[in-house]
Amino acid sequence: MSTELCSSCGSCGFPMRSAEDHAGGDPQCGYCSTCADPSGTLRPYEDVVEANADYFVREQGIALTAAREMARALLDSMPAWKARP
Amino acid sequence: MIALPAVASQRSRQREATRRQLLEAGLRMVATEGFAGTSTAAIAQATGKAHGTVFLHFRTRDALVAEIVAEIGRSMSDRLAALETATPTLREVIDAHLTALAEHEVLYARVLAEASTLPPAARARLFALQSAIASRLRAAHARARTAGEVRALDAVVAANLWIALTNHYLMNRDLFAPGESVVAKCGADLAAQWLALVST
Repeated sequence: MSTELCSSCGSCGFPMRSAEDHAGGDPQCGYCSTCADPSGTLRPYEDVVEANADYFVREQGIALTAAREMARALLDSMPAWKARP
Repeated sequence: MIALPAVASQRSRQREATRRQLLEAGLRMVATEGFAGTSTAAIAQATGKAHGTVFLHFRTRDALVAEIVAEIGRSMSDRLAALETATPTLREVIDAHLTALAEHEVLYARVLAEASTLPPAARARLFALQSAIASRLRAAHARARTAGEVRALDAVVAANLWIALTNHYLMNRDLFAPGESVVAKCGADLAAQWLALVST
C-alpha cells in the first residue's frame, strides 16, 4: 500500500478529494473506500470488479455484463492489479 | 561524493521526467493526429528518445493510449472537483463540466470520436470519467428533486441525456462551430435547454 498522499485510487483510478474518499478515512491510504477495507487492505479482485461494475450500472445504467468487462479492463491497467497473475 | 540514496532519487526524478515528456508528446500528437495517427515511433522521435525508451515506461502502445486518456480524465476531474461545493446544484455541476470540456475540448473530442476503436483499458477510463460526471449529476438531481425543482425523470436517464447532448456537439464540433470552440459557442445554450427540460 502506498504511504504517499494520492489524488486517485491506485486500484480503480477514482479521484479522491476528501479523507472520506480514502479507505478508512485515512488520507495516507492510496486506495478508495470502495476498493479497500477500513484498514486500508485491498479487497479481493473479484469483489472490486463487482463494486466497480455496480457503480457503472448505477451511474449510467449499462448492462451488468458490459459493466463487468469495463471494470476488468479498467482495473487491469491500474498499478494495484498490473502484477495480478 | 553523492550518497547512494541521492543518486537513486535523481534517477527516479529523471525517469518520471522522461515519462512525463513522452506522455505530453502523446497528448500533443493525439490532439492533431488522433489516436489512430499517433505511433510510438513518432512520440519517441518528437521527444528525441530512442523508440525502445517508450516501452521502458509503457509496456505496450495500448498502455500508453490508456494513460493518455487517463491523463485527460484526471485533468478534467481536477477541474470538476475544484469548482464544486459539497452540495452543488445541477447548474453548478453542468457549468463545471462545461468548463472542464472547454479546457480539454480538442483532446476530449478526439477521445469520443475514436472511443469505439480505443483499447479496452482506454475506453474504460473514458467511461469511468463519464460515470464520475453522471454521479455528480445524479446527486444534484436527487437534491433538486427533494426541493421540488425538477420533474420526476429517472436521474440516470437525465444524466445520460446531458452527457449525450454534450458528446454529440463535441463529436461534430467542426459542424456546429467551424474554427472555434463549440463549448464557447453552444455550451451556455445547451445548459439552459437541458435545465429547462428537467426543471419543473
